[in-house]
Amino acid sequence: MHLLGRRKHPVDEHALGLLIEESQDLHTDAMVLARSTVPDLADLAADRRLSPSPADPLAIEDFKKSRQSLAGQLGVALGGVLGLGLVHSMFADSAAAADGDLDVMQLQTAVSLELLAVATYEAALTLPFIADGNPVIVTFAETTMSQHNEHRQAFSAQTETLGGTDQTATNPKYTPVVEEAKATLAAPLDVVNLAATLEQVATETYLANLNRFTDVTARVLMASVMGVECQHLATLRAVGALLEGGAPELIAIPLGAGVAQLPAAAGSVAFPEPFSGVTMASPPEEGAVE
Amino acid sequence: MNPEPIAGMPTRRRFLAGAAVLGAGLGAGFVLAACGGDDDDDAGSGTTTDAATGTTAAGANTTVPGEVSSGDAEIAVLAAGLEALAVGTYQAALDAAGAGALGEVPPAVAEFVTVALAHHQAHLDAWNDVLTGAGAEAVTEPNGILKPAVDAEFAKVTDVTGAAALALTLEQAAAATYLEAQRTLTNKDAILLAGSIQIVDAQHVSILLYVLGEYPVPDVFAKTELAVAA
Repeated sequence: MHLLGRRKHPVDEHALGLLIEESQDLHTDAMVLARSTVPDLADLAADRRLSPSPADPLAIEDFKKSRQSLAGQLGVALGGVLGLGLVHSMFADSAAAADGDLDVMQLQTAVSLELLAVATYEAALTLPFIADGNPVIVTFAETTMSQHNEHRQAFSAQTETLGGTDQTATNPKYTPVVEEAKATLAAPLDVVNLAATLEQVATETYLANLNRFTDVTARVLMASVMGVECQHLATLRAVGALLEGGAPELIAIPLGAGVAQLPAAAGSVAFPEPFSGVTMASPPEEGAVE
Repeated sequence: MNPEPIAGMPTRRRFLAGAAVLGAGLGAGFVLAACGGDDDDDAGSGTTTDAATGTTAAGANTTVPGEVSSGDAEIAVLAAGLEALAVGTYQAALDAAGAGALGEVPPAVAEFVTVALAHHQAHLDAWNDVLTGAGAEAVTEPNGILKPAVDAEFAKVTDVTGAAALALTLEQAAAATYLEAQRTLTNKDAILLAGSIQIVDAQHVSILLYVLGEYPVPDVFAKTELAVAA
């Protein structure tokens, strides 16, 4: 990575370069494998377009329950039977639309999160204290941005394969949050914390989505991406703890003898619970194409 | 880092066949109703309820009520066997460290081993809850096919780096197995449980990679090459 050449912090550029190159090779292999499934997916998409009720009935029923619950709350808020009926009608119409397919909605929301992640890392890399800071953080931001872009492409392709419209906008809930936070970013730790929030939202959203998919390929794809976003999160948690603990010199790859200097908490801060939760998960419709 | 399969570790293609062997003891026609029943009634202490489906997300105390198919039960047996193997291996590492057999152990590594051991014990308990809830016996022994190979590798470990490398392989295999399981699991809560554990195991992988001097997020998409393969 040419950017590493002007960094002040110690880093084994050759080793890091090899790792990145290796990662890219693995990615190329993965994409070849992913693309090999496209013909089958296209067939499935054609089937779905022909079917008036493409999703699994149980999944639809589950989602309807959640819709009805939401509709009920909205109906109460509107304060009347008429309002409740209108809300139910509105959601019923939406669910019947092509883009109302639950699988498609989840993929569209995932795309919206990936687009926002790419934009956020891109913006972070323009900040002087990031661009001219720790080279490992720069490499992480660049690599992670690239990975999110690949995830976005994979989700977009799957959306279209299933007959949905590709989402092109960033997530409507978290875009204002990021925009507001940008004005307050004053140090690497601020950026790390913001990025960690986005990674946690993505990880938990994808986890919550898994058992709602009727399309197994989409489910496996999302689980595969989830397995990477959670590693971004783990890394950011560890980096954040080292920054917060005043030990930025331990953010290095390879760390070498520095491993002995890591505080004990570095061995556990990345995974606070034995099971990941879904409390920060975005609902399927949050980033769906309307 | 290219994961190096443990000698003797079966390939992914044998995943289902191996799982079937492990699950054979559960008997034919193994479609059981678990202790709960209604997916909407399981928001017990320590669990998180998925707002969209009403099913139980993987929280601190994870349960998997509802129908458990034979295929899901086979995966639960496989998963529990892997978790038991991880518990035993981390415990062996702790014992070896305590005996001074690994040299000086950095505080972060000691903390990692302790926490990872506790996580895998929790994962084992969760899968055993699935099995016992479905009327099957809990798994108490490590995966019998992998254990000899892991033991052989552990016998060669003389320092922290060696122990971390072995742990890395186990964690990569576990994460890959849970990802692979998404292709076949049918019980909604089992799907969520497997995904939840996949996340934590993948995060273990990242920290081990970092400690070993490797980039912590090497893949653009999580892979299944090391999926066990019972």
